[in-house]
Amino acid sequence: MIAFYVLAAVLIVSAVWVVRASKPVYSVVALLLHFAALAIVYFTLSAEFIAIIQIIVYGGAILMLFVFVIALLSSGVAPFQSGPNRLPRIAVPALTSVAIMLLFIAYAIGRVPAVTAPSTQLPLGAAVGTANAFGSVSDFGRALFTTNLLPFEITAFILMVAVIGVVLLAGDAAPYVPTRRRARAVEREMREAVLRAGEE
Amino acid sequence: MPYQALAVPVLNYIGLSAVIFLIGVAGVVLRRNPLIMLMSIELMWNAANLLFLTFARTSLNNAGHIFAFLVITVAAAEAAIGLAIVVVVFRSRENVDVDEIALLRG
Amino acid sequence: MTGTYPLLFAIWLLPLAGAIVNWAFGPQLKRSAGIVGSAAVGLAFLAALLSWGAATQGSVAALGAHQQLFSWIPGYDFGLLLDPLSLIWTLIITGVGFLILVYSIGYMWADDAVARFFAYMNFFVFAMLTLVLSDNFAGLLVGWGLVGLASYFLIGYWFERPTAVAAARKAFVINVVGDVGMMFAIFMIFAKIGSLSYGVVFPHSAALGNWLFWTCLFLFIGAAAKSAQIPLHTWLPDAMEGPTPVSALIHAATMVTAGVYLIARCWPLWNASHDAQLLAGTAGGVTALAAAILGVAQWDIKRILAYSTMSQIGYMIMGVGVTAYQAGVAHFFMHAFFKAALFLGAGIVIHELKDEQDIRRMGGMRRRAPVAFWAMLAAVLAISGFPGFSGFYSKDPVIYGAFAHGYPWLGAIGIVTAGITAYYMSRLFIVTFFGESRGGLNPAELGIKEPPRSLEPHDVHEEGRGHAPAWIMAAPVAVLGVFSVIAGYVMIGSDSPWARFFAGTFRGGSLLPAPFNEITLTIVVVVVMLAGIALAYLRYGTRAALADAPQRLRIETERMPAVLVRLYYFDDLLEWLFVKPAQALGAFFGRWFDPHLIDGAVRDIVEVNTWFGTVVRSFQTGLLRAYALIVVFGAMCFAVYYALAGGLR
Repeated sequence: MIAFYVLAAVLIVSAVWVVRASKPVYSVVALLLHFAALAIVYFTLSAEFIAIIQIIVYGGAILMLFVFVIALLSSGVAPFQSGPNRLPRIAVPALTSVAIMLLFIAYAIGRVPAVTAPSTQLPLGAAVGTANAFGSVSDFGRALFTTNLLPFEITAFILMVAVIGVVLLAGDAAPYVPTRRRARAVEREMREAVLRAGEE
Repeated sequence: MPYQALAVPVLNYIGLSAVIFLIGVAGVVLRRNPLIMLMSIELMWNAANLLFLTFARTSLNNAGHIFAFLVITVAAAEAAIGLAIVVVVFRSRENVDVDEIALLRG
Repeated sequence: MTGTYPLLFAIWLLPLAGAIVNWAFGPQLKRSAGIVGSAAVGLAFLAALLSWGAATQGSVAALGAHQQLFSWIPGYDFGLLLDPLSLIWTLIITGVGFLILVYSIGYMWADDAVARFFAYMNFFVFAMLTLVLSDNFAGLLVGWGLVGLASYFLIGYWFERPTAVAAARKAFVINVVGDVGMMFAIFMIFAKIGSLSYGVVFPHSAALGNWLFWTCLFLFIGAAAKSAQIPLHTWLPDAMEGPTPVSALIHAATMVTAGVYLIARCWPLWNASHDAQLLAGTAGGVTALAAAILGVAQWDIKRILAYSTMSQIGYMIMGVGVTAYQAGVAHFFMHAFFKAALFLGAGIVIHELKDEQDIRRMGGMRRRAPVAFWAMLAAVLAISGFPGFSGFYSKDPVIYGAFAHGYPWLGAIGIVTAGITAYYMSRLFIVTFFGESRGGLNPAELGIKEPPRSLEPHDVHEEGRGHAPAWIMAAPVAVLGVFSVIAGYVMIGSDSPWARFFAGTFRGGSLLPAPFNEITLTIVVVVVMLAGIALAYLRYGTRAALADAPQRLRIETERMPAVLVRLYYFDDLLEWLFVKPAQALGAFFGRWFDPHLIDGAVRDIVEVNTWFGTVVRSFQTGLLRAYALIVVFGAMCFAVYYALAGGLR
């Protein structure tokens, strides 16, 4: 029980840190922490396989993507330069109302009897600790490749589409090789901009 | 051994998921850096995942795990494409401030 | 009634053909338009003469020649009727009209768009013939309206002049009032009797019951508007803005007599209603007297003649109003000749003096316009009722008829008016034709305050345009002058040609024993008339008066009572009662209601739409974050809705 509240605190703090960090790299680190805590929470929910997948895919792959893109963007002169903030003033009240609505729904769901009295009956043929226990790899794999084969195949298709899309979007159409003179001019401009930014 | 009930009431898990989701929404709306916005979206995905797994546990149904797995996959694909878009925008205008990309204005 | 008499088509449609030719080929015809117009009307006159026999044939019930036109609805036939009453009117319209049109060829010689004039004149003749030749009330009404229209066209012929346009409008509006009255009467006739054809309405006129007087009243409203009787008379003096031939034809000889024709045609109704007789007779008598008094105070030659027309038509209305139909129609017949002669003669004088119309600036025209002098002399004596001239033979029967049918006070009015008529017509004649010419004098010496209005366009007398041959204008005037003398002879004797012509057409109302016999009355009227002429001679015609003319005229101008100068303030009353409220209403609608409410409504719709667009547009910020928020917000609203609908609390 304590575990839950500790984990909940970590989750919330790290989430807030993700949102409010001044540098993007800090956000990535906070997000990593968040994912780790989340994986532990999954363990308490008897979802071992998903917990591991969370760490591997999210923490290992997606966050790496973020880090590399941050690195690429930071090579720009002032990639995150701010103009005036143009958010309409109704944003904060709207956000608060969204919060109220969502919390209301959460509370209402929490009072549903079917939810408040969770099932404790054994699923067929699986006890805690055995090979085919609920949430184990074999249990999950059997479900994935028999009952839910179609969603699995479609998701594979989605991944392929995503890869093609990324390659099309961000891949090199034709490499732009600047002349030496152009490269020197760009470098000079960048240095001056940095100096100017430093003087302000 | 039969499964035991959860240590804390289910409402706590639901509330936690809601709070993380709200933090994610706030991050999307209040930050101007597209990378932070994408990370906030990841937060929202994860909140939804938490909810799925909670209900899978309470009803002892595998479908929740399957769905959480597929959610992770799709979230990964979406993050990749989102980042590719950020890269393309950066290439064309050296500036990825989201407020500056408001050209489709009426 | 059915039947055919195809010559009626010729009478009726030849003037229309002339109008159409002049309208269509005006620019090509130029001055020949006058010949086309006169020929069309002249041929119609010949056709009418040829129809004399057919018009007077037949028994009392089915008198005259008929020509059916068409059946609008089965059972309702419309056609043309030529009986003695309509024949008299047709002969005058086409005959006098022909003479006036020939005169106009000369009068309008220098006008540019003269084809338009003759087209309008022919159109007027056609319209007037429609009025008198119809055998049903619908055709009568059509003709009624069309002559009003023709009058509007012709009064406003010189449309560059604002006074002419205003006068035309005034005439038309007052005529419309009369038209509405006519329509009500026709509605009532149709409602009670079920047909509009004369042959059906008059035998069944008893079916009108106690609507009889109201029908007659509304008919009389129409007659009063068209014939310029009080209270619908104010348009006639202003109508003198039109060219003089127009005044002669329309506002003296024919159109203004339409009211007389109407009452004569509806004689069964008038015979049956004593109140209608009282109404018509009184209105006619009062108009005759009031107009004569006004004629004493006028200085514009055409206005004097206009008031004299009003007065003489008052006589005619009084005559037919008291059911002395033959007398009233006879006065119309004589009046057409001498009034046309007066107007055309005045036109010669005006033409000669280069558009001067104020008699104070005339004088001595006897030597300069001899034809006009002699013709107008005959006409003035005729209108006064001098024995031997035509007016004498028709005015007396009218006055005697008033006495004989039981309206002695109307007879007295008639006698007094005869004297006043003699006075002011003699005044006109003497001041215009005798003495020395006063045109060269300073207008102020004569008491003229306002600058002379030149009513005719100035290009009339430009050199190089040539002049009409003098006989074109002189001959018609001479002919009319002669007729002013001899026309009356058809009424001599108790079995006169006139009486035989109209035998069977009318049946007069009940006769009462007259207070005195006809000879006595004639002597009284002659004495009164001679007194009027003598008074005019003493004031204007003696040697001393002629020598002193400018002085006397000036004094008379200054001493003229304001009531007479302002025409009994009648125009001012109408202006105050009707014109100003109408203008205020128009201003209200035009300046406030339309821009604020109607335009305002349209503007408000535009503004609402624009506002709405602005509101919706405010969402299109292009901001990613705002869009994201909208998505989340909307999704959350849906979620709440479904949760609540599903029973979650």
